[in-house]
Amino acid sequence: MRGDVTLVVGSTGTGKTTLALQYLVNGATKFNENGLYVTFEQMPAQIYRDAASFGWDIRKLEAEGKLRVVCTSPPVLVQFVEQRNPIDAIIEEINAKRIVIDSISHLEAFIPASELRGELYRLINHLKMKELTSVFTAESHEVFGDRLVVTGVGLSFLVDCIILLRIVEIQSSLKKALTILKIRGSDHDKQLREFEITSEGIRIEAPFKDLEGLLTGTPRRTAEERFAEAFAKAARK
Amino acid sequence: MNETGLRQLSEKLIGTEIKAELLRLFHMNPGVLDTVDGIARRIGRMPNDVETEIVTLVDLGVLRRERFGKLDVVSLNTRKDKEVQEKLAALIEGGVKE
Repeated sequence: MRGDVTLVVGSTGTGKTTLALQYLVNGATKFNENGLYVTFEQMPAQIYRDAASFGWDIRKLEAEGKLRVVCTSPPVLVQFVEQRNPIDAIIEEINAKRIVIDSISHLEAFIPASELRGELYRLINHLKMKELTSVFTAESHEVFGDRLVVTGVGLSFLVDCIILLRIVEIQSSLKKALTILKIRGSDHDKQLREFEITSEGIRIEAPFKDLEGLLTGTPRRTAEERFAEAFAKAARK
Repeated sequence: MNETGLRQLSEKLIGTEIKAELLRLFHMNPGVLDTVDGIARRIGRMPNDVETEIVTLVDLGVLRRERFGKLDVVSLNTRKDKEVQEKLAALIEGGVKE
């Protein structure tokens, strides 16, 4: 929905940046919605290079005024003077409708914990007032395991949608799983789906079947599946 | 070629290693919009060392420095940077008199 904030959570290497970038490139090339990509850590040159491997020419989109990559520090992003933020001029210049902030986890290193939630709340409302549809990425420290912390600052209450990206081990292979944890005010697909990072970006596949405990990272076959296999084995004897 | 003009401009632009690193950073990443501290971190230098060089590049007009509340935010002045590059190119080709 216009003005909503989506949080994409995942551990390193799950494809958060690719998904976020794809969201902006699709907006600029297919939906006539210009976008702004705010990065704290990755340099724009690296983003141009990585995007090129998916066939996305970010420099060309920048030259056309459809997309802009801004590399800054968290204190700049949360600096407001008379209701204006340093990135506002860029938002207005390209008439941005979409924004990505990659990653919100970096704010934790620069902003005192006691102020972080308030600053994020202010930032989210500022972007909503500008009618920007936002994607925030957040680093999840647990690559595997049954413990999942979406963010440590209660950000999950502030956002409208949460997408979880997770690496799971299935038969000694690492696969990528995606699920929607939350969409405010709407029902949603609750299945865990496999996704792949292809040469054209992220491609979402069918839901995982006959497995349970996927979010722990080490799923097992469902009881029905185990029973069916045991039954088939007994029948063969 | 006007050697004096070329030397003066190039010295102002890339007279020091840090200035050259700053120009490289901003030309490769024109979307950098950061504090002096943030910029220093991105090129692996100390803020105090970078500060002086940024002042020179701001004076030349290549970089822009704007006060935002408690922060000074530095970015590439793309229009002016292009002008300086064109001037430098013209000096190399001997097309501009001092």
